[in-house]
Amino acid sequence: MSRRGAARARASLAFAGALRGLAASPVTSTVATATIALCLLLAAAFALLLGNMERVLERFGEEVHVSAYLADGLAAAEQERLAEGVGALPGVESVTLVTKEAALERFRASPFGRAALVEGLDDNPLPASLEVVLAPEARSRDGVEALVAALRGVPGIAELGYGHEWVEGYARAVSVVRGLALAIGTVLALATLLIVANTIRLSIYARRDELEILQLVGAGRAFVATPFLLEGVLEGALGGLAALAALAAGFRAARALLGGGLELLLGYVEPSFFGVGGALALVAAGAALGLVGSAAAMTMLRVARP
Amino acid sequence: MSRRGPEPTPSGSGGLVRLYHVSKAYQAGSWALRDVSLELEKGELAFVTGPSGAGKSTLMRLMFAAERPSEGQILVLGRNLGRLGPPGVAKLRRRIGVVFQDFKLLHRRTVEDNVGVALDVVGVAGPERKARVFAMLKRVGLQHRRHQHPLSLSGGEQQRLALARALVNDPELLVADEPTGNLDPELTAEIMELIASAAARGTAVFVATHDHALVERWGKRRLRLEGGRLVEDVRLGRP
Repeated sequence: MSRRGAARARASLAFAGALRGLAASPVTSTVATATIALCLLLAAAFALLLGNMERVLERFGEEVHVSAYLADGLAAAEQERLAEGVGALPGVESVTLVTKEAALERFRASPFGRAALVEGLDDNPLPASLEVVLAPEARSRDGVEALVAALRGVPGIAELGYGHEWVEGYARAVSVVRGLALAIGTVLALATLLIVANTIRLSIYARRDELEILQLVGAGRAFVATPFLLEGVLEGALGGLAALAALAAGFRAARALLGGGLELLLGYVEPSFFGVGGALALVAAGAALGLVGSAAAMTMLRVARP
Repeated sequence: MSRRGPEPTPSGSGGLVRLYHVSKAYQAGSWALRDVSLELEKGELAFVTGPSGAGKSTLMRLMFAAERPSEGQILVLGRNLGRLGPPGVAKLRRRIGVVFQDFKLLHRRTVEDNVGVALDVVGVAGPERKARVFAMLKRVGLQHRRHQHPLSLSGGEQQRLALARALVNDPELLVADEPTGNLDPELTAEIMELIASAAARGTAVFVATHDHALVERWGKRRLRLEGGRLVEDVRLGRP
């Protein structure tokens, strides 16, 4: 038999052994698979939340702009000149002048029914403003701060708005969620490893007679251990698939239940599920958990000395 | 009889199995085997006899490295068992066929797989595995039972199955602990025919037994253990 043929035969034997192991102890195998699924479900839910929260930050980065509110009483020509001057500042991509009238129109057209608030007013209380869009290389916290510092010294600009507090608070929340996910994920992974290792140990114990016989007819450690390692990998991969299915169902249900509220929570970023890479990573993480748990259990195997 | 027991036959320098002053104690001061020296040649069929507790099973287990000697040296198929690590033990066992008193069959696997497992560990697969398993089962008369499980077989059939697994790799050494213990005379003769034919093909065979009639009928060499000591090593002079 060729070397490749022999390797294929060994792989096929190991796979058959793993399937036999799963079938021989369905309860313990199911417990291990469910544990891995639960662990991955929680970790993946955090990852999904994090991914969507980070997209909000990314979007803010892409759309970052500074609003410079102009002092009342500036003539249109002065406003134009001011806009040109600001447009020449470093880190500025474009400047749009929003006149008092245009600001009022926008306010009326906003989606929160604010039109009634300004219906009875004699004067337009909204100031004219310059909407300053940052150049791509300046779209960072430092870039925003440098531009704001430059604008503060410009005569005719009364006030600046750039939503930094909201962004910084959101970034802090993302950071907390990331830390939580890491801590919870670590604890869950360790607990899962222990459970998988003990499940495989039970499986080894249930089949100790068979293992003893295999060793007595000359089976090496790899021959005996590989089916158990594969058993762990299969349990893990199945757990990963189950977690993926449960998370997808939960995600769909949350979208249906919360509707536009979810988009509002995410700052008008449409929530998105894992792509193919993410889904594969989840299944691979399950397989890896199963493999490490099985490997830990392999310390039970000794050369049979009946 | 000397206190040290018989020394290995001088002419046996090429022996497949060599024991030099081997002792085995499971507990300090309680010897299961004491100062045993012997050699076994290629194709030799030797019976190990003695009362219960004489050390027959211990001697068998030492030969396939299921035990390590407390004292002395054991060379099997050119390997010093005292120096073999687990991988070396596994490789050595692939060249040894063992028939256990309690058969040690895989009850969740078919008859065919019970024999095939000895081929699996040496990497024989596919049509060759199938053909060799079938031929072996035919030799022991179990080819029609190959898809059944061991628990559906009679005691005699299980014994033949255990022998088929031990012989399927054409081992250089066959170690059989009471291989005919549960069989009627007819089946005993069948099993012994198989064992003798293995010896005729060059396999060195150790058979542990209580059955003196078996030794008289089939034996070419008789080793007798008493209280863990080898007290007799007789070549019976049959062709």
